[in-house]
Amino acid sequence: MTVLDTLQNGINRTTGRLKQDVRSRNGVIFMIAGVLALLAPVLVGGYTLDLVMQLIILVLVVTSWIFIAGYFGMFSFAHAALYGIGAYAAVLLAGEAGLHPLVGVLLGGVVAGILSIPIALPVLRLSGAYVGMVTLAFAEIVFRLVIVFRDVTGGPTGYTSFPALFGGNRIALYYFVFVLVGALLLVQYGLLVNRFGLVARAIREAPDAARMLGNNVPRYKLAGFIIGSSIAGVAGGLQAHTVLIISPPMIEVNRMIEFMAMGIIGGFRTISGGVFGAVIVFGLSEGLRDLGEVRLVIWSIMLIVVTIYFPNGIAGSSLDPRERLRELLDRDNWSGWPID
Amino acid sequence: MVSVDLVAQQVINGLLFGGQLAMMAIGLTLIWGVARVLNFSHGAMFMVGGFVGFFTLGATGSAIVAVVAAVLVVFVLGYLTEVGLVRPLRDREEFGIPSMVVTLGLAFLLENGFIVWIGSQRESFPQFTDVVWNVGGIVLSAQRVFIFGVSLVALGILFYVISRTKLGLAIRAVSQDNDTALLMGVRPNRIYAMTFGISAALAGLAGVLLAPIFAVYPSVGWYPFLLSFVVVMVGGLGSVRGTLLSAIGLAIVRSISMIWVSSEMAMVILFGIMIIVLVVYPDGIGGYLE
Repeated sequence: MTVLDTLQNGINRTTGRLKQDVRSRNGVIFMIAGVLALLAPVLVGGYTLDLVMQLIILVLVVTSWIFIAGYFGMFSFAHAALYGIGAYAAVLLAGEAGLHPLVGVLLGGVVAGILSIPIALPVLRLSGAYVGMVTLAFAEIVFRLVIVFRDVTGGPTGYTSFPALFGGNRIALYYFVFVLVGALLLVQYGLLVNRFGLVARAIREAPDAARMLGNNVPRYKLAGFIIGSSIAGVAGGLQAHTVLIISPPMIEVNRMIEFMAMGIIGGFRTISGGVFGAVIVFGLSEGLRDLGEVRLVIWSIMLIVVTIYFPNGIAGSSLDPRERLRELLDRDNWSGWPID
Repeated sequence: MVSVDLVAQQVINGLLFGGQLAMMAIGLTLIWGVARVLNFSHGAMFMVGGFVGFFTLGATGSAIVAVVAAVLVVFVLGYLTEVGLVRPLRDREEFGIPSMVVTLGLAFLLENGFIVWIGSQRESFPQFTDVVWNVGGIVLSAQRVFIFGVSLVALGILFYVISRTKLGLAIRAVSQDNDTALLMGVRPNRIYAMTFGISAALAGLAGVLLAPIFAVYPSVGWYPFLLSFVVVMVGGLGSVRGTLLSAIGLAIVRSISMIWVSSEMAMVILFGIMIIVLVVYPDGIGGYLE
């Protein structure tokens, strides 16, 4: 089989899965959401359009975390840091090195991918909660280095002196974000419904069995970590261009916990769960903006309740109360966070 | 040129700080060793301890009542955390990550709950004493020595409980093999909850003792949590002896490195040490000390 055949096979299988998924309930919801997002600049403008843009970027961040944490089982706390690395790289390359901002955004993803390698290497050897610990340490190091090297990064006050993408045209920026995020979502989806995703889930469920079947487990995990991190890096660059400032709060651990909460509340074993989670939590945060910290209290409670009672997340669980009760009472469903 | 006095001073400071850090870190390691939970709400327990102490001190004017109240309230909070949040997850096969997530959620809930309730401003806590001793050129604050002494006493009581009492025997039995412990008439669920309570109480005690130094505000627990997190990783999760040594060692490393670099960079050094140790000895150094 030639490379082209393999590629064609992959594309056929992906489109087959896509057609199948589009016919499902979630598929219809996503189609509607996609069309709405496409028409957003016509329907809304100004601040609301900015919010839609931020939501689209958030969806990319959360799904790229799920790519690593949900499919491979590498529960990374370093994601916000890598997202921030991508953002800082993108705007510093444009602002200090004089590169075109578009090149900056793409190179930001490359830089995040490269810098994810040193953290991926220890992660490959560890499992479960230990992955969380090492990646949390990495995230803290990045956060503190950003503050220490204030001459380069602008320190706690942030960095703003970089050229805007498309000379500040919000509509053009919106469509750029829409297309790039859509493409990257399809890339993740395509990888995960094909062999790559199957091996990823095999590694999560039974690493020894996956290795016995001839898969190079460390190589797959490393590839998964780098891909997820690069996508987060691109999202970071887009976010920096959306808000036109980059500052340490963008990468601190609280931010990571927010991303995580979105993934877990939506259901972090599937890409669609990440989309739901980002929409639910972001919608809640923006809708209740006037309530201040109460929003954070609400989603902390949601995070706890979902973890205990909805191991599949909101997107993955039946919302029919009777069926839900039956699921809860069936103890067989309680062994681990289930497979999608 | 760095003088010998300055280094000696920082070693002493590090030693004193190490005792306080050990009190936090041993609570964290205890929960992991017995209940296999990485408790992210440990810093929030520290914060609650500080606030309970602050309110009690304001109401009664007695520091001793404040300390006792903080320890008791946080003990109950820890006990209830196990019963309400962690126990429902225990039947799951992969228990490590969901238990980490609920405790993380609780930490966020407590922190933001306090911000909603009383705001995020710092409340200054009265000093226990402002006496300062000068021993051969080294400055010793009586308050720090007092806090260090109380930490040692608390840890001494903990070691006594674990090694000499029936509860300690049950805790050790459950941490080794909870099924067999159940057959011997120990109820593992109660032991888990007690361990959570004891560990939280240590964090609460640390919170109220360090309140004069750190002040009291909703996110005050995050920094001590991160420090004790590094300590238990380096010392080996579940190893009490390793944690104790690593608390003292890392606190001294931190103090000495602060002569040359900022406190932010000192944290970077500590986290770097932690990553290197985890790569070279995935179980921490504790396992190699036994």
